[in-house]
Amino acid sequence: MTRSATAPPEDPALKERFERDAMPLLPSLYSAALRLTRNPADAEDLLQEAFLRAYRGFSGFQEGTNLKAWMYRILTNAFINTYRKKQREPVTVQDEDIADWYLYDKLGAAGAEASAESEVLDKIPDEEVQRALEALPEGFRMAVLLADVEGFSYKEIAEILEVPIGTVMSRLHRGRKALQKALWDTVRERGLVAD
Amino acid sequence: MDLSPIDCQHVLQQIELYLDGELEASLRVEVHQHLSGCNGCTDHSAFQQRLKELLRAKCGCNDVPAQVMERIQAMLAGGPEPFHPS
Repeated sequence: MTRSATAPPEDPALKERFERDAMPLLPSLYSAALRLTRNPADAEDLLQEAFLRAYRGFSGFQEGTNLKAWMYRILTNAFINTYRKKQREPVTVQDEDIADWYLYDKLGAAGAEASAESEVLDKIPDEEVQRALEALPEGFRMAVLLADVEGFSYKEIAEILEVPIGTVMSRLHRGRKALQKALWDTVRERGLVAD
Repeated sequence: MDLSPIDCQHVLQQIELYLDGELEASLRVEVHQHLSGCNGCTDHSAFQQRLKELLRAKCGCNDVPAQVMERIQAMLAGGPEPFHPS
């Protein structure tokens, strides 16, 4: 019963390949699940569901193609199907009043020297950076996560999220602007620069 | 500072694509050449790159809890399936 529910690949070589190739992706997928769901309990369930789906479908994965992108597509699909219904949140960012170089300009205006601007960023606690990313609406959060945290190309992101490349570019640009605003708010609240 | 063929404004508009490795080759070379001679654009570019690195360093490094690892390894072993999607 439980075995058929899990339906592991019968082929031992396939199972071995899954353990060898897919399991090392677990840490980055767990971090991504945390950013998407914004809480550890949901992240754990999402991660397990994604690995279960991946394991079930692994015989259909073509060896030599992009396993990481394949796993992220499963993770984001599982997230969208299971958690979007739970979460009521804005679907777009309010970025009309945010200039392209918002944070750079703000730090500069606050007197940070060019070299010191990066040092200010280093002083922002991990949790605050995570919170800023997690505050982005879902579509923007996923684009920034996949590009900046995971290093996927625009083409890969477009395939993972099943949207046109133009949409990826727009979400990245606008998401990053909104992120800069959130980081600046943190910098000010924490007194990391003279206001 | 204008180092034709492309000016600072144009370069700054392309920085995101440049740092993402998504600029087509000829424009990438132009931006690269401009950056090598323009401190202002280089500062902007370095800052944007630092933002990308900040996200990568701080948002992708959570340790997987031991019980999560155990649940997934149990699943691979074909054991009981503790997760029941609603």
